[in-house]
Amino acid sequence: MNVTEVPSAQSQAETDPLLSVRRLARSFGLKVTLVWLFIFGCGALAISLIRLNLAFIGDWWSFIVYGAGTPDVWQVGLVTTIFISIVSIFGAIILAFLSALGRLSRNPIAYGVSTFYVSLIRGTPLIVQIFILYFGLPQINQQLGKLIPNFELQFPLISNLLLLPALPTGILALALNYGAYMTEVFRAGIQSISKGQTEAARALGMTSGQTMWRIVLPQAVRVIIPPVGNDFIAMTKDSALVSVIGVQELLWRAQKVGVQYFHSMETLMVAAAIYWVMTIVLQAIQSRIERHLARGDR
Amino acid sequence: MMNPIVRITDLYKDFGPLRVLKGITLHVTQREVVCIIGRSGSGKSTLLRSINFLEEPTSGSVEVDGVEVNSQLDGRQRKQRIHQIRLLTGMVFQEFNLFPHKSVIDNIIEALVVVKKVPRKQAVQIGEMFLKKVGLIQKRDEYPARLSGGQKQRVAIARALAMEPKVMLFDEPTSALDPELIGEVINVMEAVANEGMTMLVVTHEMSFARDTADRVIYMEDGALVEEGAPSEMFSVPRDPRTSQFLQRYLSQHG
Repeated sequence: MNVTEVPSAQSQAETDPLLSVRRLARSFGLKVTLVWLFIFGCGALAISLIRLNLAFIGDWWSFIVYGAGTPDVWQVGLVTTIFISIVSIFGAIILAFLSALGRLSRNPIAYGVSTFYVSLIRGTPLIVQIFILYFGLPQINQQLGKLIPNFELQFPLISNLLLLPALPTGILALALNYGAYMTEVFRAGIQSISKGQTEAARALGMTSGQTMWRIVLPQAVRVIIPPVGNDFIAMTKDSALVSVIGVQELLWRAQKVGVQYFHSMETLMVAAAIYWVMTIVLQAIQSRIERHLARGDR
Repeated sequence: MMNPIVRITDLYKDFGPLRVLKGITLHVTQREVVCIIGRSGSGKSTLLRSINFLEEPTSGSVEVDGVEVNSQLDGRQRKQRIHQIRLLTGMVFQEFNLFPHKSVIDNIIEALVVVKKVPRKQAVQIGEMFLKKVGLIQKRDEYPARLSGGQKQRVAIARALAMEPKVMLFDEPTSALDPELIGEVINVMEAVANEGMTMLVVTHEMSFARDTADRVIYMEDGALVEEGAPSEMFSVPRDPRTSQFLQRYLSQHG
């Protein structure tokens, strides 16, 4: 081995593999940014060629985003979209947790209900589920009304559930749908916690409920949060589907104006841009949370 | 003779078609330290785990300090008695099983607060007392990931002791440790034994069995083969299976 050879500072910089990787990364990032800008430019060119009415966008974007002229906050398209997404994801989390417990249970009823729910929901399109809840259930209400005298007065709760307005129906459909998909995430998260944790807790005299809440779930949450974040981002986009039953969120508003004035391209572009920006923001938040979770190695 | 504090009677355990425990009967008196030795797969861990019902025995009965659970018992009463037995026994696992999301002190007081409903402040005092006992009070606020294997096991012992059980069950407490860390855990276990705790220890650590146990039991193929004082067992084993095991073991481990 040649001990006397000491590389000069310059040749060290040239041969340092980390440094060259970093330089490559920087130029790679620059190139990617250029590609993005180029595609953007092409898009802008195409838009100017097909003579999109930018003034029309200027007149109507505020109606699409927040329903200008209506002071009521619930008329705001963007707020409605975010509201639907947040309430639905919480509903989905509760459903997924219960369903995962059923899936992990040795009780045949709990297991059966859970697997049936997951199979049915994952086996049918979301839009069909939305239609069934909104257009199908009132038919049941009607039939029950014929079978049971004064049904709507005697069982107001059931009747009201069968005749849910558009917004709660949309939320229910999204929660049911995502709850089924997230069941597997929760099940895997709970199962990823070693059996020894449960045994230690049970040996100390904790009940199965205490073991789940205080020992298993707090550890499983770190596994569950990243995929739930992905699902939340996906849900903000899928929430557009509830426009088909007349929930006045972003897409509904874009369509409403676009069709009326034959400027759908303009209004849909506004809606798409908002979904896109929303997704980018949410992704940034999510990667921050993930970094935080990864750091908490302790 | 004193009434036994642990009384296992005709205990059977099947895993599917495999019979792991074949009618075990074992009595342990108060303050006694019993070591169970034998090859892996002999059923010794299953026997220990059946005492606090981490394994459900197929038949037979387990009685700890007068609380009996047998196969006739079912429903709510059975659940209650299993809970009672779990409070009467403390368990130490091969893999420590500390709660990684809780600090050392929170690991120890968790069950005191949640199960025994001890007020938090008082529980912390009890926890600190047991941490001092295992010599780790300076690690009070660390998380388990920052501890060595030996330290983790000592915390696990403190966690079990803090519940003030009448019987301690040790399931191969040093088998997952690097050789140089075994000593500190053995020292703590000896101290616990010297204070008069009733202990059942499944172990491969023959020096502990020889020095500390009152009685050593050799188990093979789901049955108790031979038992006796460590001095007899290690020098003049009566059963050929025991002597074969000990010979092979000692030739391998010096």
